[in-house]
Amino acid sequence: MATETAAQVGPETTARDRARARKRAPGEPRNVAWLYILPGLLFYGLFTLAPLAHTVELSFFDWDGLTVGHYIGLANYREAVSDPLVRDSFKHSAELIVFYALLPVALGLLLTAILTRHPVRGFTFYRTALFLPQMIAGVVVAQAWVWIYAANGPLNAFLRDIGLGSLARPWLGDFTWALPAVGGIGTWVTYGLCMVLFIAGAQSIPHSLYDAARVDGAGAVREFFAVTLPALRNQVVVAFVLTTINALRSFDVIYNATSGGPGTTTYVPSYYMYRNAFVFNRVGYAAAIAVILTAAIFTLAGIVLYVSSRGEER
Amino acid sequence: MKRHLALRHLAIAAAVVSMIAAAGCGGTPGSSPGSGGSTPTGAVQKTGFDKLGPVHLLIWSYDNQDPGLEPVLKQLSANFEKQYPNVKIDMVFKDFNSLVNVVPRALASGSGPDITEGNQGYQTDAQLVKAKLIVPLDRYISAYGWEKWYSPSTWSMFRWTDDGKTFGKGPTWGVAQTGQNINVYVNTQKLKQLGFDPSNMPQTFDEFNTMLGQIRAKLPKNEPVIEFGNNEGYGTIHMFGGIQAAFFSPQDERNWIQHVPGSTWDTPDNIKALETYQSWAKNGYFNSDYNALKYDQSAAEFAKGNGVFWMGGDWDASIVKSGLGDNAAVINIPPGSSGTWAGVGGLSGPWHISSKTKYPDLAAAWLNYIIASPEAQKLMYAQQQIPSPSDAAAPPAGDPYLGQVTDAFRQVADDDGLMLYTDWASPTMYDTLASNFQDLLAGRISAQDMAKNVQDDWDKFDQTLKQ
Repeated sequence: MATETAAQVGPETTARDRARARKRAPGEPRNVAWLYILPGLLFYGLFTLAPLAHTVELSFFDWDGLTVGHYIGLANYREAVSDPLVRDSFKHSAELIVFYALLPVALGLLLTAILTRHPVRGFTFYRTALFLPQMIAGVVVAQAWVWIYAANGPLNAFLRDIGLGSLARPWLGDFTWALPAVGGIGTWVTYGLCMVLFIAGAQSIPHSLYDAARVDGAGAVREFFAVTLPALRNQVVVAFVLTTINALRSFDVIYNATSGGPGTTTYVPSYYMYRNAFVFNRVGYAAAIAVILTAAIFTLAGIVLYVSSRGEER
Repeated sequence: MKRHLALRHLAIAAAVVSMIAAAGCGGTPGSSPGSGGSTPTGAVQKTGFDKLGPVHLLIWSYDNQDPGLEPVLKQLSANFEKQYPNVKIDMVFKDFNSLVNVVPRALASGSGPDITEGNQGYQTDAQLVKAKLIVPLDRYISAYGWEKWYSPSTWSMFRWTDDGKTFGKGPTWGVAQTGQNINVYVNTQKLKQLGFDPSNMPQTFDEFNTMLGQIRAKLPKNEPVIEFGNNEGYGTIHMFGGIQAAFFSPQDERNWIQHVPGSTWDTPDNIKALETYQSWAKNGYFNSDYNALKYDQSAAEFAKGNGVFWMGGDWDASIVKSGLGDNAAVINIPPGSSGTWAGVGGLSGPWHISSKTKYPDLAAAWLNYIIASPEAQKLMYAQQQIPSPSDAAAPPAGDPYLGQVTDAFRQVADDDGLMLYTDWASPTMYDTLASNFQDLLAGRISAQDMAKNVQDDWDKFDQTLKQ
């Protein structure tokens, strides 16, 4: 590389080299850059793109996972579109987005506003403690919440203690409340991530902006909306994308806490996909659901990014 | 210059190749060799395995509940290793779902277990047979004389045609260690306190149904008549069997499970059974958190003294006894107008021999040892488990509770009343039953709806069997 660079800037530069150099806009990477990204690309291709392509391929087959499958074109997709359980699963996912994305982002912002406005003693401790749920394995989280939500668990005991005993119920076994209860677990797991993202962003806001806002007579609320929130716009977008993806692919909590029940009130696409692939021996159909889910995740993430980039241009 | 160009082309080529490698994974799924193994032939070797040289047998089991057969299998395997010092047995215990949802692929990989439990029915065993992952046991049945173990209708739960489509006919692919029956466990102390005589239990379903209502009226409101755990969805399948048997013939149920043409679940009698079951929920016989409580947790709750009855497998007999001691008793749900004692039940998980094991004859010798040997049967009784062979030794005297558990199984088995497990009828039937029962008990669907939904699942799968 060194010789090449020398050749381009040195006095002996030939006309051809100059012509070649002009073809490329200044600063544009050379083709040799492909070689630099090759190791990463190889792994990405092998462990992400290849399985993805294979899943798309399988979705066109009727395959039990063991014996020879046969090609059936789009039949799996046609079935998925008319399968009421697929539709219900996606509806449940949409509801979970409220709990996995909207609430954690709102909570994260609130905590950030509180923790950054005034110096808090033990700030690092709170930050770590509130981030902790994010680091616990999903199975453990589910088991802990199964206990919290149990008929005689701490949540119902608390409700009875404060005189709201009529609200106490077996949360995860209740047709109306099982899905919101699962969503509550999601909120608890994700808000720490949002908060850490926002606090990191807030720490880079120049203090002079706050001083200016205060001089102009802004209160805590005004200050938050005028200074903190606009400065955190990129972090909020990242948090939305990450948590929405989490919501759509949630599996471990459902699998461990409700098994999709009661009835089918907590079925989500990833759980239904798992049942098809490993229990109903319908790998092709499971692959079709997986492809639809992937497309849905890409679309939603795309919408979030598009909306936010349009806002930036204004 | 030359070097520069070459480098550039190399870079692009390498990147393109990696993309192609990533995307190129064509071919029909499952068509690569290596899914099925071979079927052993010739005379069965029954002894002399010590001359095989070092042997490693990997065995998978899900019989580890409370603790169930786990200590029995461990002890018997240790004995077997003592008899054949060159044989090293590696017993791996997994929970039921973790085993049956993984074992087909484990066997296909070639590094799976030599011997494993499967599950009767279309979800698991039909797949193992169809993919040629296990071997037929007919050679061993005649070599060891296992024929006399079970009645023909009981043997039918292990029989499949080679294509895995016809259930109940064709070669025999499994044998089982213990008898399984859904019992009604009774807290006799509670029953006496409420003014009932535990030694004079109802002999007809109607009397039993009336008794539940009487108990409900006398019991404090927050105490369940029947302790119930249905979080996973199988508690309900088990409980309904005893009710169904009072209205629906066991032979019809078995035919339906095995897809005998013309079978249906959507009959007026079966709808009556579903309505009765729904009325149990409506009348408040269950603890309110039954959908949130796991099956084993409900057994533990009952063992702690919650509920007058608990309906569950005889394999859970020891956990009930460890909690209630002499206040535990066992009965069956009594029969309807037919007078036939029946309920959900059959035999325990089917033991299979992998088609890829190098030692199928040794595996059969191990199966024979863990089921037929006097040591095995003695150890099973010690764990409150009932040996499956009809010619098994009698339970040890002086344990009335174990006597009741054994009698309850024989009462149903002798009446040809083992209805098998409803969820064997199709790969999706477990999920269909679990969610529909939850909807039914919550009053969200009617008995008619449920009968139709279940029959729709059956019909849909029945179509695929005809292809």
